[in-house]
Amino acid sequence: MSAAAPQVLVVEDDPHLAAGVAENLRAEGYQVSMAPDGELALTWLAQNGCALIILDVMLPGADGLSVCRALRARGDTTPVLFLTARGDPADRVRGLEAGGDDYLAKPFHLQEFLLRVRAILRRWDWYRSASATSATAVLRFGGNEVDFRAFRARAWNGEAQELTEKEAMILKVLAEHAGQIVSREDLLERVWGYDVFPSTRTVDNFILRLRKRFERDQANPRHFLTVWGVGYRFLVEGEP
Amino acid sequence: MKATRVFQLTALALVVVSAVQVGWWLFDQHVYTVEKVAAARTAYAEQAAAAQALLDSGATPQQLLPGIVVAGGKATLAPELTAALTTEEQRRSRQYAWEGSFFLLALAACIAVIARALRAEAHVREQQDSFLALVSHQFKTPLASLQLSLETMALRAPSPEAARPLIERMLADLARMEQMVTQILESARLERGRVDLKPEPLQLAGAVQRVLAQLEERAQSERITITSDIAPALTVVSDPLALDVVVRNVLENALAAVKSAGGGHITLCARATGREVELQVADSGVGFAAAEGARLFHKFSRLRGSTHYGTGLGLYIVRRLMEMADGRVSARSDGPGKGASVHLTWPAAAEVSALPPAASAESRRA
Repeated sequence: MSAAAPQVLVVEDDPHLAAGVAENLRAEGYQVSMAPDGELALTWLAQNGCALIILDVMLPGADGLSVCRALRARGDTTPVLFLTARGDPADRVRGLEAGGDDYLAKPFHLQEFLLRVRAILRRWDWYRSASATSATAVLRFGGNEVDFRAFRARAWNGEAQELTEKEAMILKVLAEHAGQIVSREDLLERVWGYDVFPSTRTVDNFILRLRKRFERDQANPRHFLTVWGVGYRFLVEGEP
Repeated sequence: MKATRVFQLTALALVVVSAVQVGWWLFDQHVYTVEKVAAARTAYAEQAAAAQALLDSGATPQQLLPGIVVAGGKATLAPELTAALTTEEQRRSRQYAWEGSFFLLALAACIAVIARALRAEAHVREQQDSFLALVSHQFKTPLASLQLSLETMALRAPSPEAARPLIERMLADLARMEQMVTQILESARLERGRVDLKPEPLQLAGAVQRVLAQLEERAQSERITITSDIAPALTVVSDPLALDVVVRNVLENALAAVKSAGGGHITLCARATGREVELQVADSGVGFAAAEGARLFHKFSRLRGSTHYGTGLGLYIVRRLMEMADGRVSARSDGPGKGASVHLTWPAAAEVSALPPAASAESRRA
């Protein structure tokens, strides 16, 4: 954890649950702000920054999913941990598709909640420190140029690309291990944490999206190579 | 449940197949009859032609072919023979039309009955599913809060002073869950019509006073003043328990709305309007957007921005009970933050409408 206590925004309409979550986060050394509904949360976030948002899905007015989508749409990449009373896999996937980083079903275990908060912050700490210098903030390969800090890229054909935070993180992990094989499990662990997604197929889908953005010929990729049965290998120079 | 559904669907399929079969069979019979009659006509015509040929060659055809009439050197078919053919064709066509439409109608009725039952069942199941989903959602929040408080105590081992707010929170969560169970059972009974209301003339002021006495302490601690101005002469026709539940739920709702606004006041007043008595509960609470007025009385609806622990069933129960008591309920607000008022209308007891207006004004002053 960095020297300054990370700021966490708790968006939860139930006052007891909000108070309980906030007290525990404070006891762990975080600074906590609270918002009882989505609109107040969006207003607060427009003026203040934070390291993590704990977002209830069932909020009065705009629900948590649309709050998260609205955040992502305005380019806010602050990580989001969803709390919800609905915990089935379909809802889970919906939450992550809306741009959430993790998903916890109510009622949850306090220790697990704190663990997940720590894991999300650690992943983002890694991503930020791995993109801190001007040398690591920008990646150039095969005519593409990726700015990890702005989550933007310009593809080989001159097209401007907006990267999602997950795409950027996957690209970061692959770039850090350029030339080496990275397994799907490693990517899941580094980018998502643990059992968030039901399968490693998710990783494949993200690789497909990266290829679509950056490969000249998606059918014959030269940078994002599949290593059958193992994972992926990223080549900066491109396969000859 | 699943086996029943399979049976129902099988029966539906059988009836549909039967209807198609009957339709095909009728069509087939019709075609067959038309063909047969046409064949018979051709055969007769050939016989007539043969008789004509015989006649032309000088023979005596009457002996050879019955049904052929010879008149003036011409052989023709006996008119009763063609008439019989036509009658037979028409008779069969009529039979098919009547019997066929009867069978088809009967089968269509069966299909409609089965399909209707299946649809009704699906609707009930859907409602149950959404009810269960809503109920489980409503329970998960206090459960999550309870679990969080307990795990906080286990993890942090707080001092007795630090533990007190946690314990109070847990007790409040339990109370909330208990209230929810009561209200869910109440609304389920209301839904199935298992509530037996015994309407009788009741003094409104007395019923309201009893509820107020129980809520007084809570109102004081939440900095809420309640003023009630109800003429003792006003009587309504209602079940006593239902009246109590309705007044209590409306008042609790008003208390929660005022508490969320950080304190304020609640005013109760009543008046007789023709054959009805209207009780108005106005509060200076958080209010609501005009569009939400009707939605308030729906099952599980909660106001947006509400920090109250409502189950979303209180006002739904009020509406159901008022409907069963031939009364009405509505809510009005000038907008969020501008307070709200709930209007309850019961049929007036007979003797009240007979009271002269002067008497009611007198009692109001008293």
